[in-house]
Amino acid sequence: MNRTMTIAQSEFITLVKTKAFIIGILFMPVLMGAFFAFMAYAERQVDVERRVFAVIDHTGSLFGAVREAAERRNAEFVEDDGSRSGPEFVATAIDPAGQSMDDLKATLSQRVRDKELFAFVEIPANAITATSAEVSPIRYYAESTSYEPLPNWLRGALNDEITLRRYDDAGIDHALIEQLNTRTPLSTFGLMERAADGTVNEAQEVDELARMAMPLFFLILMFMSVMTAGQHLLNAIIEEKMSKISEVMLGSVTPFQLLAGKLLGVVGVSLLLTSIYMVGGAYLVFASGRFDLLNIGLIFWFLLFLVCAALLFGSIFLALGSACSDLKDAQSMLQPAMVLIMLAYLGSFVVIRNPESSVAVGMSFFPTMTPFAMMLRIAMPPGPPLWQILVGVGGLVATTIFCVWAGSRIFRVGILMQGKAPTLPELVKWIGK
Amino acid sequence: MTPAIAVSGISKRFGEHRAVNNVSIEVPEGSIYGFIGPNGSGKTTTIRMIMNILVPDAGQIHVLGRPTASGVRDEVGYLPEERGLYKKMTVRRVLRYYGQLKGKPASEIDTATRDWLARLQLTDWADKKVEQLSKGMAQKVQFIAAVVSTPKLLILDEPFSGLDPVNAEALKDAVLEMRRRGTTIVFSTHDMHTAERMCERIFMIFKGNKVLDGTLDEIQAEYGYDTARVRTAGGASLLAGMPSVESINDHGNYQDVKLNGDPQAFLHQLVQKTTVQHFEVRRPSLHDIFVRIAQPSEEDLKAGEGGAL
Repeated sequence: MNRTMTIAQSEFITLVKTKAFIIGILFMPVLMGAFFAFMAYAERQVDVERRVFAVIDHTGSLFGAVREAAERRNAEFVEDDGSRSGPEFVATAIDPAGQSMDDLKATLSQRVRDKELFAFVEIPANAITATSAEVSPIRYYAESTSYEPLPNWLRGALNDEITLRRYDDAGIDHALIEQLNTRTPLSTFGLMERAADGTVNEAQEVDELARMAMPLFFLILMFMSVMTAGQHLLNAIIEEKMSKISEVMLGSVTPFQLLAGKLLGVVGVSLLLTSIYMVGGAYLVFASGRFDLLNIGLIFWFLLFLVCAALLFGSIFLALGSACSDLKDAQSMLQPAMVLIMLAYLGSFVVIRNPESSVAVGMSFFPTMTPFAMMLRIAMPPGPPLWQILVGVGGLVATTIFCVWAGSRIFRVGILMQGKAPTLPELVKWIGK
Repeated sequence: MTPAIAVSGISKRFGEHRAVNNVSIEVPEGSIYGFIGPNGSGKTTTIRMIMNILVPDAGQIHVLGRPTASGVRDEVGYLPEERGLYKKMTVRRVLRYYGQLKGKPASEIDTATRDWLARLQLTDWADKKVEQLSKGMAQKVQFIAAVVSTPKLLILDEPFSGLDPVNAEALKDAVLEMRRRGTTIVFSTHDMHTAERMCERIFMIFKGNKVLDGTLDEIQAEYGYDTARVRTAGGASLLAGMPSVESINDHGNYQDVKLNGDPQAFLHQLVQKTTVQHFEVRRPSLHDIFVRIAQPSEEDLKAGEGGAL
């Protein structure tokens, strides 16, 4: 045990001191912060361009409404200090009379290319009168077709106007229609609870952010820990093999002690990493006063699943690494293990969508997915029944123990091996040796 | 007195290959024991079994009177043939780490580290990273790593291979220093001169079987005075084809000739053919014995010379 701790300690210090750890882990929040700050900045850099668009109005009656709607809209984007907070849309009418449509549209296209216009739009003659069978589209032509605010606004403004005209033509009061069409919103609540003294506690309105913030935070944290730990173990063990350190180590400790020491070191690093992030998360919670985001019970499960995941995947990575003689071999050996992790990670989003579906329940029982899937299910009310949690955790712990054991069997043979990497069936044979 | 290493009837197979076959050795406490044998003959496998890195298929191994699988390895310093150091660690830290893995307290290790670094002129490098060391320096640090825990038994697999004469000499002195302190030493080597000079007892393994085991005297006595060292005006070409010459080991300036007849008769014939400058009847050298047993390929010989002192 002493030796194992010595190795764990050395592994821990070595890993924490690596540039990859410091940059990748400690600066991750800084990078994320910088990213969000940039996004916020970029969003504030609003588009205040003046965009002139031509309207070919075959109905002959809609252009005025479009121009007025554009002016109303433009006025909304003028701040108190006179600065603009949005683009300015300016409509200009084109009289199609006596011209071939193709010629006219070609001319307008050239004007768009010359930057005189931003776009032009053609409103069909039957726009107001068309029945649903006859309806033909409003045509919007632009060079920058990916710019959406203008066509989106046009679609809305024109349709609103067309609808009003149709009500008028049918002699219907549109104010009445609006009132009759008023929609009633729906809010989601958790369940009411009856306290011991018989009073009924008010149900909490469910906030999507509050429900998912912490589980998602933990999910990403676990994924990151497992990836960091796995990559490090793989690199470390191959470096030891390549620089012939392994046999020196085996002259002092057993393969199991070596493997266990490395795993413990990495679990320690995962816990360190997690605590750094949890402190950061706690700070955010306190700073924002969003205590409703907290789910204290989940921390226990998270830590349990994190330790198991680090041990489980760590022992797989170590066993694979010990069987390889260089990093290139390792990359190909690694793919099955990476698939397991990616499946677990991506599968988690299936669980988030519907935690009680049979797929989600099945995944939470599959040992390599349990840490991710079961944690999410526990996080989302009503949560799985206790027996499911126990079965999942039991399976996970058993698999973890098996992987550490099998890993140490492979490790024992692989660590002294040089040359060609074995195939997966050969690895399985080593377990039985 | 309990022997430092008692190996009885160990065998090890790798698939169809018999790496070690029913080998027994007894290494007396306080001695220097040489393991010799061509490449791939089972030296390293035997050493790995003594270190409990490999488990023998059959037979028993006791080290310092205890089964090798017990914690006895803490008392054994081991320098494997394939050895390395953590490149990013400082010399001091790597030595402390290796010492701690033998279960020694840090204070004891630090004292021994200081002592050994000074002895091998590495004091200035104590806080440098391993990757900054030259190859010779790294090899000396590796040796220190094996002795920093002050072991009772020291096992060195090819300790002198690839060293320049100055560093090899320094390392040889260090080994002898360990011996003076009462440490039992086992080392394997390709270099017969080193084995002859340093080892009290020599063990040779060939194709997994023990072929020699004893003091140099005992081994040579088995072969008797069957060799003549000859320097003549005519040189090696003259000797070939002469009656009673069984084989010739040409050293250039002189030749060692294995005889299957009377040395005096051979001398008589020789004098009639050429001017004899030197003639000495002697026992075969360890090198000659090695060659007679192993008849190694050219490559083996080259590898052996590469590791020469």
